[in-house]
Amino acid sequence: MAHDAPSGLPLRPTGPGSPQDMPPAPGQPPLSADDLSRLPEPVRSELLAPDPAVIDTAAKELRDGVNRCPKCGATEARHRAGGDRLVCLYCRHEWAATRVEEAFGLGEGLAELRGTQIASGARDIDADAEHLRSYKCAGCGAEVVINTETSMTARCHWCRHVLGVNEQIANGAVPDAVLPFHIRKDDAVARIRQFVDKRRLFALKAFKEQFKPENVVGVYLPYMVVDARGSADAAGVGEVLTRRYTRGSGKNKQTVFDADVWRVQRHVDFTVDDLTLESSARRGNLDARRNTHNIINTILPFDTKNAVQWNASYLVGYTSERRDRDVQHLMPKLQEQMLAIARAQMQPSVRRYDRGVRWERERMDLQGTRWVAMYLPVWLYAHHQPGKGGGSSGGLRHYIAVNGRTGETMGSVPVQQWKLLLAALSIGTVVEALALWFIAR
Amino acid sequence: MEGDAILFLLALGPASAAGFYWAIHRHYRNTDKSHAFEHETAVEVLALTGEADDHKIEEVRGTRATRIQGDNVGLHRQRVRPL
Repeated sequence: MAHDAPSGLPLRPTGPGSPQDMPPAPGQPPLSADDLSRLPEPVRSELLAPDPAVIDTAAKELRDGVNRCPKCGATEARHRAGGDRLVCLYCRHEWAATRVEEAFGLGEGLAELRGTQIASGARDIDADAEHLRSYKCAGCGAEVVINTETSMTARCHWCRHVLGVNEQIANGAVPDAVLPFHIRKDDAVARIRQFVDKRRLFALKAFKEQFKPENVVGVYLPYMVVDARGSADAAGVGEVLTRRYTRGSGKNKQTVFDADVWRVQRHVDFTVDDLTLESSARRGNLDARRNTHNIINTILPFDTKNAVQWNASYLVGYTSERRDRDVQHLMPKLQEQMLAIARAQMQPSVRRYDRGVRWERERMDLQGTRWVAMYLPVWLYAHHQPGKGGGSSGGLRHYIAVNGRTGETMGSVPVQQWKLLLAALSIGTVVEALALWFIAR
Repeated sequence: MEGDAILFLLALGPASAAGFYWAIHRHYRNTDKSHAFEHETAVEVLALTGEADDHKIEEVRGTRATRIQGDNVGLHRQRVRPL
């Protein structure tokens, strides 16, 4: 119960968990310098941190939705397969979009990163942003509507000009950068066929019957590519083997060990360049019991250093998936991956503990992060296995994915359970029979 | 033949059946695969300290365990309590 102060004002509660340990709710008047000094250090530093800085990656010259050939002015630009260049289908002129790494200095100053820097294409998604965008055709003045849920380009139905969504609308459909496909469709088909050919014997009958790798789809999937600077601490115990010997004799002979136990502590300051995180809520859920999204995760990494500034012309002929996760949603995952990286970096320094180390406590302090939204190229082949569980439609959707840059292939091939069980039991029976024969001999 | 050896030989049948099922299932479904971000991401270590403060706290004598209990030095993704 609060007591009244002599002046008549109620006493301010103090101690852990009292209101002064909490940051002020939005809309409350700003705190005085005196109040700020009383706040715990983490809350104070969060309040005093500058607002997230924005790196503007929008291509202003493309804002009208028209991507013209620099030589002839035609709008028939396409991505030239196998490279990063665009080609004009009218005059065959080729040109390359700007690489974001150099244009916005994304590979520099990692050690000096402070606060949260967010590129303009990675800003928070506005739930009210319209997915339907209307563009005035530069060729004839007609209004052309593009539904950014399903498409990023459209052709004017009157004059056949091609229009693309190049302005960074706040619905997550337009990233900062795109990494164009290098692996062609026939190459992806061959890789998927080779992958499945190694897994035919016990594959589900329906999968084998319906297998048509030509149905593979080229899709640009949304990712956040993060540069970060952080420091991590870990504490635990390690053991060094001092003696190995045998004890007892005959049947009771045992090998035993003597060891020294050490208290171990490590601190690491480090930077990470282009850590890649899924920015789709559905695909970021890597639960291998319920989905096969781990397959698409496995084909990472991409050569994100070669990503070019967003230009909708790269998407012609491919599909894309809209980003639906913001920086704040992905921050816990970044923290966790940074800690895992820190622990991997500490491992060589504890090699002398040849009986291993048991880390018991750890901490990650992120000092600076830089977030860039990217579309990365993936060839996807899907097969739906009916049944219980899995996704909303029931069953399980199996993917075979090919990295559109490196060609790395990974997949999930559904198994014909009875066939595999029968084979396993047959092998077990033969081995058991051999064992019985050996015992009886 | 001794009792332990007979038991071991009898266990070979069920063990090989289970091992075959597990290995083929994993080869087809790849449920254990994911991006090895710990090793495939460009990392620059600015400072790694603490080695000089390591100190011996006790000795273990005559244990049969080949590794420290709860060894997680290689399990980088296994999170432990916050410091």
